[in-house]
Amino acid sequence: MQSKTRPIQNFAQAASKCTAEAAIYGQCIVADYNTVYKDKCANEFMKLKNCYLV
Amino acid sequence: MRVNLSRACRRQILRPSSAGTFSPRRTYAFQAPGGAVFKVFNSRAKWLQKERSAANPELSRQGDYLKDEVAMRVCERLLDIKRQFPRVLDLGANSCNIARALTRENPDPDPSTPTSPPLATKIGELVAAESSPALLFRDADLPFNAGLNLTRHVLADDESLLLPFGLGSFDMVLSSLSLHWINDLPGVLSQINSVLRPDSPFVGAMLGGDTLFELRTSLQLAEQERRGGISPHVSPLADVRDVGGLMGKAGFQMLTVDVEDIVVDYPDTFALMQDLQLMGEGNAVLGREMGAIRRDVLLANEAIYRALHGNEDGTLPATFRIIHMIGWKEGGNQPKPLKRGSGEVSLKDILEHK
Repeated sequence: MQSKTRPIQNFAQAASKCTAEAAIYGQCIVADYNTVYKDKCANEFMKLKNCYLV
Repeated sequence: MRVNLSRACRRQILRPSSAGTFSPRRTYAFQAPGGAVFKVFNSRAKWLQKERSAANPELSRQGDYLKDEVAMRVCERLLDIKRQFPRVLDLGANSCNIARALTRENPDPDPSTPTSPPLATKIGELVAAESSPALLFRDADLPFNAGLNLTRHVLADDESLLLPFGLGSFDMVLSSLSLHWINDLPGVLSQINSVLRPDSPFVGAMLGGDTLFELRTSLQLAEQERRGGISPHVSPLADVRDVGGLMGKAGFQMLTVDVEDIVVDYPDTFALMQDLQLMGEGNAVLGREMGAIRRDVLLANEAIYRALHGNEDGTLPATFRIIHMIGWKEGGNQPKPLKRGSGEVSLKDILEHK
């Protein structure tokens, strides 16, 4: 079962390439984490997601 | 009481008797002594997680670092008890981490004292009880097994000890990193008290309080922002204050409760979660959203964890708060607190004349 890489590891690998976008998104949330609502940082997240999908 | 009774009866009548699912078991309209047990954890899911984690021994052993470390710290506490223990129970043994720690050479870390023999020499027989057979027998053929008289016992039910073991059958009960999955902690503690012989210690360690608070908060924020709501991902855990009260309620004397934080740095949240899975410490909270966490949330979580809690060198800290507890079963000529009001020296005088 463990001989092939698990899909989640590929995902982690891909996600680790987008540190700049991740930092921007993280800052957007952490700037005011007491009032987080749905899609508060949707733009930043889409940029992060685009980066990881490439 | 009457309301309960009538409801129970009605349920029986309404059940379709033609279907094969009718169970002859009666539902009783009274509560077991001790009050209703509030179910928090899915013990079946927990059992499955442990079985799966141990399915690949090589990989599973990589996740043992935390359990080995805590088992070692629990066993260090035994150095202070100058006694022989003919029969000892290790409750929730995982992969017998306590047995491994007991067979370690020179358990006393203080370099100024002479080398001491392994703690296993103080123990006649160690009964390692665990509900997951795969995890329990994972290391059955490793060399440390020869270092002490170890019996492995598969528990049918994590939360009933009296059935397999009986009253007053142990000279000490140890437990390391497993009590935090128990639904009925007060009940299990009082059962531990019952299986102990009089004047015997219970030495335990469990995860509690702010364990994994970084993961808890960042997952909450990620889910809130991505999906507009949160589901439990990190267990609710007992606090230090609660543990003292619970131990007292279970009938233990001379309590010692203390807290240690172990902070482990991980390269990313995926490594953290994978290691938790290897430890068999995945989420098993009842009422959680079933299935894996969505990719979007995982991606957001990684970014938020790093922004909120990340270290300067790019690693991510994860806190494990270990609550250590020692309690003694009443009996023998144990020192007891004096009666209230029997003190003859005023603490005020001492403090003022200092």
